[in-house]
Amino acid sequence: MTEATASPGASRRSGLWALVMSAVVYPLLILQTLTFILLAPMVLPLASVLTGRPLGRIVRYFIWIYGKVWMILIAPFTRFEKIGLTQDRFPQPCIIVLNHLSFFDVFCMGALPHSNVGFTVRSWPFRMIWYAPFMRMAEYVDMETLGHDEALLRCRELLDSDTTLVFFPEGHRGRDGKLGRFYSGAFKLAVETNVPIVPLCISGTDRLLPPGTLLMAPTTIRLQALAAVDPSGFTGESAHVALRKAVKTAMAEALEKQK
Amino acid sequence: MQQHIIDTVNTALAEEFELEAETMQPDSHLFNDLGLDSLDAVDMVIVLEKAFGCKLRDEQAIREIRTLGDLYAFIEAKRKELG
Repeated sequence: MTEATASPGASRRSGLWALVMSAVVYPLLILQTLTFILLAPMVLPLASVLTGRPLGRIVRYFIWIYGKVWMILIAPFTRFEKIGLTQDRFPQPCIIVLNHLSFFDVFCMGALPHSNVGFTVRSWPFRMIWYAPFMRMAEYVDMETLGHDEALLRCRELLDSDTTLVFFPEGHRGRDGKLGRFYSGAFKLAVETNVPIVPLCISGTDRLLPPGTLLMAPTTIRLQALAAVDPSGFTGESAHVALRKAVKTAMAEALEKQK
Repeated sequence: MQQHIIDTVNTALAEEFELEAETMQPDSHLFNDLGLDSLDAVDMVIVLEKAFGCKLRDEQAIREIRTLGDLYAFIEAKRKELG
């Protein structure tokens, strides 16, 4: 039975499950976040010294583990379906373009097969004081504040250090489950750096935390990585536009099939 | 204002930037209302050059454009200038 045709009894049960899930997951999420924040001052410098890796790389790994722990916390209430999330689908570095449905989309990046992942985001996530220091240490790129030229320069530097970048090409969360307009930044960067684009389709996180509500609801989250797209196949002055349209078409088709 | 300029601009921009026809009014601000960004502004010039078959870049006037109405007027003036 689909959610749209659920009976009143099923609706009451799902409402009860949403209450139980929220009552369990939110406190655990707060506990998890506090634990990571308290561990960070010891673990991050120590790991950086022991591994000899730059702090940014270590913090990105730390955040990836944070995402994985969150996925374990919600696992009793949520089914994860992963399609194509294998190492060979994600050349290093690559530019992941991800449709955006929920605040929790980024948490699901714990399912990615490698950890050296930086995010390009708008300025508001940098205002969450409990996450902001980690985002800065992880060298996430504030696309809104920096402006395009400076932001894309930072992106190129991260790609040069083999860091995969995640872009939300819609720029903000979709409210109706449909793909919104794609901005060109990720695609221009891909053409200029010749770094492949990996389209990543996510569904279900909008049902996990529906827009405008605070109650989480049990659901199925699907993550599907499509085949990497080589930007060298797109040439000319409007190569990035053609690349953008090709990637969006592929993602729209995949998301339609996921329904 | 020549209607075909309005139609050509609207069609080209709607196709390029996936804009809804009802949002494309003469007083629509390119950045605030239509959601274009600075990269889109560059692409807009390219797509309009293709649509009208004339060079529009390197023009100081195009940097002053804020609304669709400004854009229509700019294209009309440019076409008159080119004869």
